[in-house]
Amino acid sequence: MEETRPPASDDPRVDELRQRLRSLGYLDAGVDRFVLGSARSTRSASAIAFFASLRVGALAAVLLGPAAAIGLSARMPGLVTGPSDAIVVAIYLGAFFGIAIALSTLLASLLVASFSRRAKMSGRRSLGLAAGVVVTFGCLLYLTLWWQTVIAGVGWSAPFWTLSALALAVAMSLLLGHAVSVASSAVALAASENQTFGAAETRAVKASLSWPVTLASGAVAFGAAALLLTWSAGATRAATVPREPLTIVPSGLRVRVIAVDGFDVRILEELTASGRVPALATAFGDGGIALESAGGTADTDDPARIWTTIATGQPPDVHGVEGLETRRVAGVQGSVAMAGPSPIARAIRGATDLVRLTRPSIASGTERRTKTFWEVAASAGLRTAVVNWWATWPASPEAGIVLSDRATLRLERGGPLDAELSPATLYDTLRQQWTEIRTRAESRATAAIDFNGEEAARTILRRSAELDAVQLELLSRIATPATDLSAVYLPGLDIAQHALLGDEPSRLAPSGLASRLEALKAYYVALDRLVGPLLAPAQDELVVIVTEPGRVSGSRGARVALRGVIARLPDTTASNATSVAPTVLYALGVPMSREFSTGPLIEALDPRFSTRYPLRYVASYGPPSTASATRAGQPLDQEMIDRLRSLGYVR
Amino acid sequence: MSPVPAFFASYQARVDEVLRRLVPTDRDGAIERSMAYTLFAPSKRVRPVLTQLSAEICGGAATKALPAAAAMELVHTASLILDDLPAMDNAPLRRGRPANHVEFGDAIAILAAFGLLNLSYGTLVRSYEPGLSARLAALLDEAVGADGLIGGQAADLLATEREIGFELLERIHRGKTGALFNAAAVAGAMTAGADAESIAALSAFAKNLGLAFQIVDDLLDVEGDPSETGKATRQDARKTTFVSFSGVAGAHQLATELCQTADHALTPFGRRADKLRELSAFVAARHV
Repeated sequence: MEETRPPASDDPRVDELRQRLRSLGYLDAGVDRFVLGSARSTRSASAIAFFASLRVGALAAVLLGPAAAIGLSARMPGLVTGPSDAIVVAIYLGAFFGIAIALSTLLASLLVASFSRRAKMSGRRSLGLAAGVVVTFGCLLYLTLWWQTVIAGVGWSAPFWTLSALALAVAMSLLLGHAVSVASSAVALAASENQTFGAAETRAVKASLSWPVTLASGAVAFGAAALLLTWSAGATRAATVPREPLTIVPSGLRVRVIAVDGFDVRILEELTASGRVPALATAFGDGGIALESAGGTADTDDPARIWTTIATGQPPDVHGVEGLETRRVAGVQGSVAMAGPSPIARAIRGATDLVRLTRPSIASGTERRTKTFWEVAASAGLRTAVVNWWATWPASPEAGIVLSDRATLRLERGGPLDAELSPATLYDTLRQQWTEIRTRAESRATAAIDFNGEEAARTILRRSAELDAVQLELLSRIATPATDLSAVYLPGLDIAQHALLGDEPSRLAPSGLASRLEALKAYYVALDRLVGPLLAPAQDELVVIVTEPGRVSGSRGARVALRGVIARLPDTTASNATSVAPTVLYALGVPMSREFSTGPLIEALDPRFSTRYPLRYVASYGPPSTASATRAGQPLDQEMIDRLRSLGYVR
Repeated sequence: MSPVPAFFASYQARVDEVLRRLVPTDRDGAIERSMAYTLFAPSKRVRPVLTQLSAEICGGAATKALPAAAAMELVHTASLILDDLPAMDNAPLRRGRPANHVEFGDAIAILAAFGLLNLSYGTLVRSYEPGLSARLAALLDEAVGADGLIGGQAADLLATEREIGFELLERIHRGKTGALFNAAAVAGAMTAGADAESIAALSAFAKNLGLAFQIVDDLLDVEGDPSETGKATRQDARKTTFVSFSGVAGAHQLATELCQTADHALTPFGRRADKLRELSAFVAARHV
């Protein structure tokens, strides 16, 4: 037979006739164009299954990708930082669900085809329908759980939204189930070659959905999901904005928070007895108040996790910063916690890093779901300054003066800011002063260290002391004139302790351990000299010293001590790490959030203060601001990792 | 003879055997000879082959579909005899021979056509159980009646030497060609006990293929060689045809697209429908 295929006509009359023919019912094959469209030139059951599965997978990707992205962004607020992140995450999840559903459809189709060879006629259609029903219910189950997640994150309770979301979920589920049913039934039919078939075989294959209908349904579902995604990205944070304004009742006090990591009370007690740390001894004269971890013992292992707990007054499952090590997903600015010591978690991390889907990153403020005490104070109109606290990058422009945990690195390296500090105008000033800051810090560190032991230990002490001195020098420069609230995190002791003793001091030889402990004690002395001036409160000042045992095992727990005119010897000797933030805010005259799980340390404050300033409450402080300071430069992710690795934080 | 697909031969032979039983060629009567004259003139037997193939892909036996296939060919032949009459198209040639009325006269030709038409219904009634035969007869009734062949031919006659619109042209084609193509495909599926959806799929196939077939017929009237087509060309010069609306290239293009759509309608049947796909490829490419 001679095959002739005339060239495509560009006659405009042909287009018009084509449309008129369509209106008369021609040029419409009547089968599901979307699902089976790509299988039109194929004959074998497996080929039809393959091509139809690709189409179903594509449909699933479009429908489920954005929906899953909404759910994921609600569960992991640090992951999605804006519309571009949301789109990238939706694409990733779309690809994941697309591949998963395509494979499931292929498997279901082939299974149905396999069974249909043995099944009676009536059974084949039932098998195809069953595959569709399973997918419909599976999809609906997933979407319902997803919706539950979104509701949990956003707080929707309006019946309209709930009904709309459910209707959307049902439509998406039915569409996918229908597509799977069509694919399975088509494969079953094709597989029944040379067999008698007849009754009710092609009911599912004969499509009720033409491609325009399929496309329109998909577009509507996608559009609705995309709208929800865009809306919820902002709404997850905006929905719980406090309705009550934060009204300050001025106490006349300024509060200074000094956070010391790697602090062991046993060493302090020993040094106090010998009179080597007078300032710290005074500060902890009563031993301070022991702070229990809010999130279990694991808190003490991870500085980002525990220091965010202290800063927010909320446990990790509420504040969202799960660990120091996070992963940045390729193409997404936000990060996701992938911490976990299990071999499976490590294997997943390794695999995704290997294929460059993720790369290591450090915990940041984008993961945090609750406000820190300085953010609350700043939102109440107080002047605040914070230096070097964990997970404070990117610095928020709405949180007073913030020198984030990446500020030192940026000041060292120079270059355009990537929100390492706020306000951005401060950057030029500090850059100009940087050499002087470093010089002064070095000289203060050198002067503070009084240790004549081995050279390696001296180097460790000097490096650690310089780090602390830099932070203190920065604080002195940004908190002048005096702010209502200042806070500084000092990592030097933890770094020194870790460098000297390692993770497990018990593994050191006794002679080596003794010399290393001597060096460590020398650092306590140096620290006493460095922070001593800050530990003595002015008349209108409350000094809050918070310590944490750091990364070395065997250290005793966190402590807090209050010094100042309103402080008194506490009735209790134990509290919770989540009580620090309420205490700071209470001293400043800020009402308490009812979302706090623990209240302020009233027992550590003068009763006259408590009487004069009774506790006041607001429902919530609201979510942290999503705004970040100037981001013109390159993120210092890798530099930060390298530095933390050199300091033993990251392996 | 036209270059039909190779598999046609066995299907043609089977239906010819049935037709020869129904219309014996050894009779002397004028009416019998007239009936056999056009019925057994060279023909591709596209409609009865379509009936048998439809039955097969729906899981039925081709042999069970043979009476229905024969009925389709009887009706088709009757329509050809009537179409060629002087009162209608006045065509001198049919299937490579002088038209029936030229050979036997108008009156005998008319009677032969009615004889064939009558025989088709009788064949259905005699060959199938009452329920199926009634449904097949109703199907044929629709294909032949005022909404089918008769209505199409009437519209065609009234449109001669008149400029007509595209919708009326489609109506004519649907009646004169599409109706019997559809009936042929559906009848085969019905003899196999197919469900409504299978029948709908085959109906979509036949609908698109039928129009493609007619468009190619129009093209052959313009481009064809009478020695190959077996009928006079330029017979449609006084008529509005598909070519009038789309031009020759456009008609080729649309015929191809209609055949592709017909193929697509067969997707759910997989490999079983390969012969039907060959049939549509033949329609798209035929030049006789």
